[in-house]
Amino acid sequence: MVPLQSQVLLPERIAGLLGLSGTVGQIVGGLLGAFLIANLLLVQTAIAGPWAKRKITAAFTDRIAVNRIGPFGLLTIVTDAVRLLSKELIIPEDVDRPSYDLGPLLVPFSALLGFAVIPMGNGIHLADPETGLVFAFAASSIASLGIVMMGYGSNNKYSLLGGLRAIASNIAYEIPLVVTAASVVVFTGTLQMSEVVAQQAEPLLTVAGVTIPQWFAFVNPFAFVLFVIANLAEVGRNPFDVPEAPTEIVAGFQTEYSSVYFVLIYLGEFIHIFLGGALAATLFLGGPAGPILPGFIWFTIKIWAFYLFTQWARSAIPRLRVDQFLDVGWKGMLVLSFANLALTAIIVGVIA
Amino acid sequence: MSLEEPEPEDGAVEVLPTAGDEIAELLGDLVVDREEHVNAPGFVIRPDAVQETLTRLRDEAGFDHLSCVTAEEREDRYESIYHLTSFDDRQREVSVVVPAPKDDPVSESAEPVFRTADWHEREAYDLIGVEYDDHPDLRRILLPDTWQGHPLSENYDQDRPQIVTLSEWENPLAEDHREEEGDTMYVNIGPHHPATHGVLHVKTVLDGEQVADVDPDIGYLHRCEEQMCQTKTYRHQIMPYPDRWDYASSGLLNEWAYARAAEDLNDIDVPEYAQIIRTMGAEFCRIASHMLAVGTFALDVYGDFTAIFMYAMRDREKVQKVLEDLTGQRMMFNYFRLGGVVWDLPEPREEFFETIRDFLDDLPEALEEYHDLITSNEILQARTIDTGVLPPEVAKSYGATGPVARGSGIDYDLRRDDPYGYYDELEWDVITEDGCDNFSRLLVRLREVEESAKIIEQCVDLLEDWPEEERTIQSNVPRTLRPEDDTEIYRAVEAAKGELGIYIRADGTEKPGRFKIRSPCFSNLQTLPEMSAGEYIPDMVASLGSLDIVLGEVDR
Amino acid sequence: MIGVLKSMATTMKHALDGQTFTVEYPDVAPEVSPRFRGVHKFSQERCIWCRQCENVCPNDTIQIVQDDQRNGEQYNLHIGQCIYCRLCEEVCPVDAILLTQNFEFTADTKDDFVYNKEQLKNVPWYKDIDPLNSREPDRDAWIGEGEGEVDYQ
Repeated sequence: MVPLQSQVLLPERIAGLLGLSGTVGQIVGGLLGAFLIANLLLVQTAIAGPWAKRKITAAFTDRIAVNRIGPFGLLTIVTDAVRLLSKELIIPEDVDRPSYDLGPLLVPFSALLGFAVIPMGNGIHLADPETGLVFAFAASSIASLGIVMMGYGSNNKYSLLGGLRAIASNIAYEIPLVVTAASVVVFTGTLQMSEVVAQQAEPLLTVAGVTIPQWFAFVNPFAFVLFVIANLAEVGRNPFDVPEAPTEIVAGFQTEYSSVYFVLIYLGEFIHIFLGGALAATLFLGGPAGPILPGFIWFTIKIWAFYLFTQWARSAIPRLRVDQFLDVGWKGMLVLSFANLALTAIIVGVIA
Repeated sequence: MSLEEPEPEDGAVEVLPTAGDEIAELLGDLVVDREEHVNAPGFVIRPDAVQETLTRLRDEAGFDHLSCVTAEEREDRYESIYHLTSFDDRQREVSVVVPAPKDDPVSESAEPVFRTADWHEREAYDLIGVEYDDHPDLRRILLPDTWQGHPLSENYDQDRPQIVTLSEWENPLAEDHREEEGDTMYVNIGPHHPATHGVLHVKTVLDGEQVADVDPDIGYLHRCEEQMCQTKTYRHQIMPYPDRWDYASSGLLNEWAYARAAEDLNDIDVPEYAQIIRTMGAEFCRIASHMLAVGTFALDVYGDFTAIFMYAMRDREKVQKVLEDLTGQRMMFNYFRLGGVVWDLPEPREEFFETIRDFLDDLPEALEEYHDLITSNEILQARTIDTGVLPPEVAKSYGATGPVARGSGIDYDLRRDDPYGYYDELEWDVITEDGCDNFSRLLVRLREVEESAKIIEQCVDLLEDWPEEERTIQSNVPRTLRPEDDTEIYRAVEAAKGELGIYIRADGTEKPGRFKIRSPCFSNLQTLPEMSAGEYIPDMVASLGSLDIVLGEVDR
Repeated sequence: MIGVLKSMATTMKHALDGQTFTVEYPDVAPEVSPRFRGVHKFSQERCIWCRQCENVCPNDTIQIVQDDQRNGEQYNLHIGQCIYCRLCEEVCPVDAILLTQNFEFTADTKDDFVYNKEQLKNVPWYKDIDPLNSREPDRDAWIGEGEGEVDYQ
């Protein structure tokens, strides 16, 4: 067994810095660590949502986009936040109150929860349970529950359709996603995130003096492609943005949300994209590993690369029709992911 | 009466009656009286013989295209005029005039013969007040159901208050069917919906994700364009308004529809030079309009963040620049005048030609990009091929024209079949696709852009070499036009969306007595229920996008 | 799959070439054609009160009131309902009206867009325009009305 990449987790390190120990240290360290990680992500989301998304879309469409406020229009983030939060929170008649209100909360928090087990490099790693990978998937799929609550609770037919589509898509694509991730687990023999990352640091081969690490994207590119595609469906981006499908069902499950709730859903969507990117990075791209730059920077680059990819796909790929979407999920992705799993298992069995 | 001999065709084809007398013979004692319209012979028939007459004309004389239904109120009668023509030979035209008595304006519906009569007769009922027997669904179409009176009828009281609250209007005895059957869901798509291209309201019944029934509800953008034109003078005042029917940059095409009808009505010649400028400008408008259609269709299928929409807008922008140089405005051109155009090409001419040539040179590359982005994309093909199917017979029955008809394999283009302007002097092709689906309609538009570019190129060649002393842009037209009382004309041009026809009845003054617009979008939109029954919502939305409707023209 | 990749390559090409086609509007004024029809400019110095513009205007944007000697008393312009057809300029025999290239004007309500002839002397968009100006290309180029029956209503 190779040594763990970072033995000291973030809560312990914070507790150590504060000179606390025992249960108090664990609680304070854990809370502060979670706070730090959540804020790191929220900052990235704030950049991604009101600013980067516009700039990226504008680049694809030959436009200029936000540039009026601040350098490169960066202060738009502030004005947009103020604008969105100061809008009236319209609650339609006859909504199913607890679920209407809880849905938007659940979406961002489930995604943030998933980040608890992601090693982000430079020791930013909140928890490292042995079931890390399963935990991340479990946490991220709580979001579906939130979406269903929103779709059902909004008392709107478009929302209902969106909610139904969201469940259908989650069931159809979560399975291939997890099964593809399982093919990585077959290689690693563990679900622990730090271990998955550590194993990928091993050299795969050396070409002209450059050592290529054993990232599973290089070991099994097919699984990587499958994972990225299933991930696109999981975060609901083209060609799989069927649950939202603005030109068909207005905005799907979020049709009736405004102001703060809208911001929460928006945040949730972006954190989900980042979580999808983080899982892809951790499982297939060596987590925070990379030459020269510090680990955290590499990790950020990788999740932003995935984010960029989702936007790129949006600019050029049409949305599938809902039946085609499910066909692709059940008849294509599921079969391919199981084939991939079986093949990996055989290869690993033969080699080992 | 402009009646040509039927063209000598292969012996197997039966000779269809063209001359008025032959048709009269065919209709026999159905004909009560004869009229002469400028464009076609008119036959007055009894109000209870509409179906028989139209069936006979359709089946035995080949008049398979009910282009338009005009209703109007005259001093002593109501009148419905069915403008019939043929998809195979557009120049064969006949008008069937159906008078109805003042006190009981009922006439037989043509809907069982031509499906397109459904909406046209509803409009006639709505605005004029003629009632149609045997019509499946005679409701108001443009005005709200609560409207009182028929605004184009003669004794309509404009000052009558029209605000009727829903609770006042609602039938308290109407049954509520909500509980009885739980399998379907009723959804209002529009009037505020991202994919309805304006204020269209599609009343949709869903069975799961599938469309069980759609009923387009139009009229949200009804601006009384017909009535407005009836209050303006032929010579100047009407011309700015056609720009505002189909406002999505096909202004010159619309202006041409009015110009053609009014020029034929008043016997005005247009100088050849002006015709070339008109042809060029109109084709620019067609390109702009098709670009917008392709872009918005991509929006419907791709979602909001597609780059294609912006690329299409960018290319449309280039066209609008040229049009701005030519006409002075980007969309509301008001460039045509009766007897010509208002301005010669902008000086310096070389620079203007240079701009056009640059645009034309870049166009193939731009179109290649659209093909890379759209038509060759497998997911788009999966989305659009075999969805929104509109078989040619159905399209004909609904009077679908333009790219919608040509996407269903109907070889019908007024620019060739009923030539006007300079089109018959130029080399170009009518594009048809046989797929009958959303993909074909998209492809037709993209390929038509190429044809338009061909036309423009030839026009530029001609204009460049045109001798300076012969650059007459307007013929000599008197300042006030008063066509003779009771002359009637129906003339159409090929607008971006299809056959845009204008019916004018002169009443001896300088303003039209009746001005009727046959909007291609109106007829095309009518096919939506045919195309989307049983399809998924996304396909319904895509079909709507592929019809390329502009609500300003649907509602007028 | 190849088509999808081709689509993605196309948009990426656009993203990387760094070209934009939009204009930073308030900073960069869009180019306007010399023939562009913007807000009216009315010059009282030229007007002969023939009322042709009022007659030809399709939607009563122009309202003229004369005294019994047919001297002009009022010239009211309801810019909020103008459709910029330029027919008034076309009929004006003395170039008293021309549509400028200015398209920027705002008001809080439509009523603010009603101007009488005094107000028309100092509306912001007249600045820098010689009131005696006429349009280039001048009207002889585009009025095609020849001899023949002319009915001056």
